[in-house]
Amino acid sequence: MAEKTYLQAISDGLRQEMRRDQRVFCLGEDVGVYGGAFKVTLGFQEEFGPWRVLDTPLSETAIVAGATGAAIMGMRPVAEMQFADFVSCAWDHLVTVAAKQRWRVGTPVPIVLRLPSGGGFSGGPFHSQNPESSFAHIPGLKCVCPATPEDAKGLLISAIEDPNPVLYFEHKHLYRRIKGEVPDERYTTPIGKARIHQEGEDVSVITWGAMVYTAAEAAKQLDDLSVEIVDLRSIMPWDKEAVLASARKTSKVLVLHEDTRSGGFGGEIAATIGEEAFEDLDAPVKRIAAPDTPVPFSPVLEKAFIPQVDDVVAGLRELAEY
Amino acid sequence: MATGTAVDVVMPQMGVSVSEGTITKWLKQVGEDVEADESLLEISTDKVDTEVPSPATGVVSEILVQEGETVEVGTLLARVGGEVGASAPAPDAASPPPEPATQPAADAANAAASEGVEVGDATEQPLAAPTETTGDSGSAGNGKAFVSPVVARIASEHGIDPSQVEGTGRGGRVTKKDILAFVEGGGAAPEAPPAPAPSGQAEAPTPAPPQAAPAPAPAPPKPAPQPVAAAGEPAPGETFEPVTAMRRGIAEHMRRSLDTSAHVTSAIEVDMSKVVAIRAKLKKEYEAAYGVNPTYLSFIARGTVETLRDYPWVNGELRGDKIVTRNFVNLGFAVELADGKGLIVPVVRNAETLNLLGLAKSVADVARRARDKQLTPDDVSGGTFTITNPGGYGTFHGTPVISQPQAAILGTYAIVKRPWVITDENGVDAIAIRSIMNLTLTYDHRLIDGALAGRFLRDLRERLQSWGEKDY
Amino acid sequence: MAIARVAEPSGSLQDAKEWGLDREDLLQMYRNMLVTRGVEERGHILYRQGKIPGSFYTGRGNEASAVGVATAMGPDDVGTPLHRDMGVHITRGVEPWRIFAQYMGRADGPTRGKDGNVHMADHRLGLIAMVSHLPAMLPVAVGCALAFRIREEKRVAVGWFGEGAAARGDAHEGMNFAGVRRLPVVFICDNNQWAYSTPTHLGYAVEHLADRAAAYGFEGVVVDGTDVLAVYRETKRAIEKAREGGGPTLIESQTLRMEGHAVHDDAFYVPKELFERWAERDPIERLRTWLRDNVDMSDDEEDEITSYVKKLLNDALHRAEESPLPDVSTLTEGVYATPEDLDTPHHK
Repeated sequence: MAEKTYLQAISDGLRQEMRRDQRVFCLGEDVGVYGGAFKVTLGFQEEFGPWRVLDTPLSETAIVAGATGAAIMGMRPVAEMQFADFVSCAWDHLVTVAAKQRWRVGTPVPIVLRLPSGGGFSGGPFHSQNPESSFAHIPGLKCVCPATPEDAKGLLISAIEDPNPVLYFEHKHLYRRIKGEVPDERYTTPIGKARIHQEGEDVSVITWGAMVYTAAEAAKQLDDLSVEIVDLRSIMPWDKEAVLASARKTSKVLVLHEDTRSGGFGGEIAATIGEEAFEDLDAPVKRIAAPDTPVPFSPVLEKAFIPQVDDVVAGLRELAEY
Repeated sequence: MATGTAVDVVMPQMGVSVSEGTITKWLKQVGEDVEADESLLEISTDKVDTEVPSPATGVVSEILVQEGETVEVGTLLARVGGEVGASAPAPDAASPPPEPATQPAADAANAAASEGVEVGDATEQPLAAPTETTGDSGSAGNGKAFVSPVVARIASEHGIDPSQVEGTGRGGRVTKKDILAFVEGGGAAPEAPPAPAPSGQAEAPTPAPPQAAPAPAPAPPKPAPQPVAAAGEPAPGETFEPVTAMRRGIAEHMRRSLDTSAHVTSAIEVDMSKVVAIRAKLKKEYEAAYGVNPTYLSFIARGTVETLRDYPWVNGELRGDKIVTRNFVNLGFAVELADGKGLIVPVVRNAETLNLLGLAKSVADVARRARDKQLTPDDVSGGTFTITNPGGYGTFHGTPVISQPQAAILGTYAIVKRPWVITDENGVDAIAIRSIMNLTLTYDHRLIDGALAGRFLRDLRERLQSWGEKDY
Repeated sequence: MAIARVAEPSGSLQDAKEWGLDREDLLQMYRNMLVTRGVEERGHILYRQGKIPGSFYTGRGNEASAVGVATAMGPDDVGTPLHRDMGVHITRGVEPWRIFAQYMGRADGPTRGKDGNVHMADHRLGLIAMVSHLPAMLPVAVGCALAFRIREEKRVAVGWFGEGAAARGDAHEGMNFAGVRRLPVVFICDNNQWAYSTPTHLGYAVEHLADRAAAYGFEGVVVDGTDVLAVYRETKRAIEKAREGGGPTLIESQTLRMEGHAVHDDAFYVPKELFERWAERDPIERLRTWLRDNVDMSDDEEDEITSYVKKLLNDALHRAEESPLPDVSTLTEGVYATPEDLDTPHHK
């Protein structure tokens, strides 16, 4: 056990897997010599060589489709999109080929796609998005969003083990800000299971990624309210049971995500709660999310875009008083 | 004139406060022809058992609810016309329909002269407990009006009326916390509403045409009946059978009535010898001329109606802070259903306008219609006074339960030949054999005092004992 | 300004032997081409009988290109053939009855009704299923070659694309990556001159698509796609080069699409003379003539082959028609893979 940053946990997990299993290899832009744009693969090429840590041409399709072909041939590629935003270039491949091979023709595609996502540092429209909902919508793909260093390592290992294409959304803004205890040994965090970040009685917050910490900070400020925070961790598949149990317990639910509101995955969660826990609700299910705009650049605008602690405090209070 | 497009057959509302009904028998199956107005199925509610006529001529195309199932008023039961659907085939009654069979024929009553037997007063009482106290009854402007799903569920599980609970939510809304605290604080006992809103008294309930589906009476949060503890599993030697809607209704009403009125009973003995003699004479004439049997009940009813004229409070009602009296008498007669599965109290309206013959006819008519399950909601509501005959099996005394919201109920008992002391014109006492009948008046002591009750009975006895041949 | 090399036509039996083909191999190629055409001709009939739902695509005129390439592949090589390359599936060993079942959406088709036409795979035969978005499989083939390279295996991946699909970025990105890393992949461009109704001059501006290989740093070859032996020869050369670490080759195989884009298209936009001219170069007829001339294929042998093919296809059709439609409950099965799915030799 040791205290690690979120980034170190990812790096260590990946390195351990590459040491353990020859089939695991990395490919992406600047992952080799440069060690990755965020230094996740720093030192990897020195240890594993240029054929296991591949600096690819600037071609998301070549990266992701290349990973698919290699995986079909028995490898376990961990491909990196330098920014999650660039995955749109590989959207066709993911949706058309990777997602559908198993169902159509019985061909598993065990690839992992690492996607540095999220904003909060004036990254602007093309370096700050949280695109998990579009891919959660495609049958055949899995999507995970760890919030803690411990889950970051465990979910990465699970993703590598998983025989399906797994989109691993690592939140850039958590890389160095968040530290936590991470076991040294190899372990997996189950995909599809949520984690109770903190227990509460009065109101439930269902959230993931960096928003887990925003929710926790908001809860601290509302010391007269007992707030339960459910860290979904896994967006597809998602832990419906855990969410419904929390909804039934508190009867007041806030769904919080950094992605934009319309079509964001919160809608799916809210609809499910309405369908399956209607008789347990003491208030309408509330959503807090970014407005339906691209991610702005200027700090004042970005603050108005990304749900802030104050927004969550206000939302929770409103729910409590309903 | 068969219908081409499918016409819906829905569960009718048999009474203002009836919220559900049970299908007891499908008279037609899918694929069979049916004429408009021809009986299509039999249903049972806590108020009345009746037949539902088909709304259209055509082929029964779908049956969606099976025998033995209980559904809400307005539920789609079947369709006539249109394509013979793939829906439910001929119903396979899982449980034997509670056959509200024929009531005993009037003739069967040997000594006693009435149709029904058992105590009864399940007239127009809502089967659901706290009447129409609904969460909604809290009028607008009061956030208390809105009941959230979880609060509604908890309320229904515990038989609580949310409007009775202190609300701390927005606008005074009852929150989940509020109602849970209420439950824990032991507030779960369902309150008997003080004076239920006129449940169909002055207003005649809309005669529900069986094929239409009037809006179901109980407003949203369905006030469930008293919390009934689940029976669990039968112990060795025990057998379970389900509680029918009617039985539930009767249970509700009895409990509430006893909780509402201050029941006191006074009894009096009546020498019915004159009535017996006159009846013997009239019987042949009435049956020949009018096809009607002048039963003892009709005599008593006639005497009662006359007497009520002088005792308006006995025909009255305690309604909130007012005493209601009327210039009419809607006379209810408790009727037992076959197999003791329940009872019904059809009402003869404006009985004060009927003479002996008229009463005899009306009583016979409602008896027949009760037997043939042709009673309408009007027939079982709006009563102002009820006569019941607990004496049909020979008993001489009883304490019937008042049919809410009435003020009293008259019980008649077996006419028995007894040795009786009579005094002749000269003041000389002798023993004679007389036909003696007990009468009881069970009255609500909140409104009617013992003295009044006594005087009523005295006057009624007087009328019956001095019945003249010319009286009718 | 042509850059790519134009291949020589096929020569004598001696040449064929040099490239590793004996008489039996040659007859087998003939058989495979007949089966390929036979399957597709039967498919047309089935379609018009209403037994094939959806649409129906064939590769009439491309039999030599498909069979020639597939014959040159080694047993452990893999490929991503497309809808004009039924000959690849036949040559690699996919049974015709399964193909008919696939056409008709039956439970015994390789995709059990989940996909149609020639969208099918067989891992034991090194066949990876295509998708409709072309040339999405090209960079996937490159990925397979990447795996071989990482593991230093002497295996080659073959990726197909049409001259129309060459316009998309996937082609460029795949070939570029392969060139940069000198991966063991051979690119086959089935140039049948029409991308639906789009003629080549509206699809690309170079003289030969094979010219683009130079832009990626490897060799491009143009070959007559109706000459099965030439196709075989060029492919064999390219595959062995790749196998020995020589990197990719782009082979442009020229044919004419002899039918419409799909069964609903009567190809009215193709000049009649073009059809007539290319009909004279029918690949099957060409090989038949060559076999009679160069290996003394007799009437008996020919008849025997013809009857064999006929019987094979009749039996196949029968068997396929008995295959049931898929059970609706299978619809939601298999969206996700389980660990057991990876329990195959090449995943270990």
